[in-house]
Amino acid sequence: MTVSTALELRNVIRRFGTVVAVNDVSLNVSKGEFVTLLGPSGSGKTSTLRLVGGFENLDGGSILLNGQRIDHLPAYRRDTATIFQSGALFPHKTVAENVAYGLRMRNVPKDAIMKRISESLDIVRLKGFEARYPAQLSGGQKQRVALARSLAVRPAILLFDEPLSALDLSLRLQLRAEIKRLHDELKFTAIYVTHDQGEAMAMSSRVAVMNAGAIEQIDKPETVFHSPTSEFVYTFIGESCCLPVRVTSAGIEDKKGQAVGLRLGERLAEGECRIYVRPSRLRLISEAALLPNQLTARIHFIEFLGDLYRYHLKAGALELAADHAGSIGHGVGDEIEIGWRNEDMRVFR
Amino acid sequence: MTDAVRIDDASYETQRTAQERRKLLAPWILMLPALVIVLVFFGIPTVYMVRMSFNLHMDQRLYVPGFTFEHYVNLFSNPLFTNAILTTIKLALVASLATVVIGYAFALLVWLKPARWRLLFIGLALAPLLISEIAIIFGWWMFFPKNGLLSYGLLSAGLIHEKISLMYTEFAAFVGLVYVTLPYCFFILLSIFDGIDKRLLEASADLGASPLKTFREVMLPLTWTGILVAFSQSFIWTMGTYATPSALGPDTLWTMGFLIQEQMLGKHNWPMASALAVVLVIGVAAVMVVTRSMQSERTSFHV
Repeated sequence: MTVSTALELRNVIRRFGTVVAVNDVSLNVSKGEFVTLLGPSGSGKTSTLRLVGGFENLDGGSILLNGQRIDHLPAYRRDTATIFQSGALFPHKTVAENVAYGLRMRNVPKDAIMKRISESLDIVRLKGFEARYPAQLSGGQKQRVALARSLAVRPAILLFDEPLSALDLSLRLQLRAEIKRLHDELKFTAIYVTHDQGEAMAMSSRVAVMNAGAIEQIDKPETVFHSPTSEFVYTFIGESCCLPVRVTSAGIEDKKGQAVGLRLGERLAEGECRIYVRPSRLRLISEAALLPNQLTARIHFIEFLGDLYRYHLKAGALELAADHAGSIGHGVGDEIEIGWRNEDMRVFR
Repeated sequence: MTDAVRIDDASYETQRTAQERRKLLAPWILMLPALVIVLVFFGIPTVYMVRMSFNLHMDQRLYVPGFTFEHYVNLFSNPLFTNAILTTIKLALVASLATVVIGYAFALLVWLKPARWRLLFIGLALAPLLISEIAIIFGWWMFFPKNGLLSYGLLSAGLIHEKISLMYTEFAAFVGLVYVTLPYCFFILLSIFDGIDKRLLEASADLGASPLKTFREVMLPLTWTGILVAFSQSFIWTMGTYATPSALGPDTLWTMGFLIQEQMLGKHNWPMASALAVVLVIGVAAVMVVTRSMQSERTSFHV
């Protein structure tokens, strides 16, 4: 193994009773890398993180940190630091005492602790809050203290356990940018667990999309978004419309056996399949005319989303949505043409 | 909206002051039933008791109205009484400490275990409260004597070779007291534990604290108030209780509760019994003040 690998998971398995929460997960995290585990609840992302932190016991496989096996060590002997969803600040200790906690446990000398406290609070922009108690802080401030507390011990890896999901939207965006900035500045190694794809895309060096205890795909955010390798990843990342169809020698029909006005640029093999398109990639009326794939559909209803109008459309039993900047001059009940490029469509069987 | 009635400024003002007055009165009205019960059934008898303790005792009469410090002087000079005071304090102290330690461990266990075990444990802790103190004492009478359950069990296990009796020992009195106060102690501590975020334990371990350090740095400070409350309630109970130590302890175990009973019913000396009771009340109150002052100023961290 190379020196630049910080964390390595090898065929990690974790069971809860008969449920396999983490199913044979292998993962390498390089030094300075920010890897996000993204998935719906129950996909095993939090369990994976807790296995690294030492809060769960492994049922199989091994975990290595900086080349050393750590899976047999209790949490307090591992050089990891977790930022919990709730923050988990010690309510009976001040902000400064919270930040000092990990350093005291590592027997860092007093003056060095003082220096590290002020450094860490400086980094998270909470200078002057040293004497406050957690109850006197807002939700965002608490999470920043939690971050400072974890950063202060300079762990080999930082583990984020959905740290922003308890905050409201504007605060979430603000802290997300701040964590990103900190990572760019400090180059720490981190695993970040979230179910929010926006967070995953914005912050990560790599995103691991998890489903049913396994990693479906792990790659750069752009690659995961533009070239999903499986139907699950495609549907989980970004918005998508599913068109379940049956291709016969006569043409294309919906699940009820009715022919739909769907004209594809490339011939599909006969049989049932699901065609996926993204609302943002669909073109309407005149813009659709020159595109290789076209569908005639009726406007079902229209949502105004500020920058966009979202047209909910129906073609036989097929339902889809298309975004368009500005109005297209058609109302509910009108039949319109929709078109899309070959590269904006995915077919799964 | 109901029908909109036009109100002038004056009636608005009267209604507003009435509303303010109701707000001020509400806490007193809510407190009233409890206040009445405490005053009528505790306050007035206590005043009577204090007055009684200064009455005279002569001619085998229960009491003779008068004023004397004789009983108090007697109480603090007669070794019979001073020893009883010391015995009571010692027994209550040891029993309360043991209760808190056992109760703490039990509550910690229930708190840490998955929720599905919780009801079972709580049922277990509630069970002793379903039985009266007297019935429990009868139970101990079957447990401690030479032909009792304990002796039989130890013998079968091969731990002893001859039957033993722990009946009428200070140990039996101690066990009996712990048993009676344990459920209350357990529930007080469990309610405190339930207010703590379990993630704090993980956070502490995560930052490098061993379980022992986590206990000292996180658990102990966060449960300190509960420990003091549990201790004071156990102490108050064990100081004042009479039946359990008298029934299980040796004949020589003279607690204050026992002496009050003896002075009152045996010696027909009501002033003396009252003086003992007054000292008991003051002693318990003093312990409450002390434990109260030991509580941290920030008793709640969820401001």
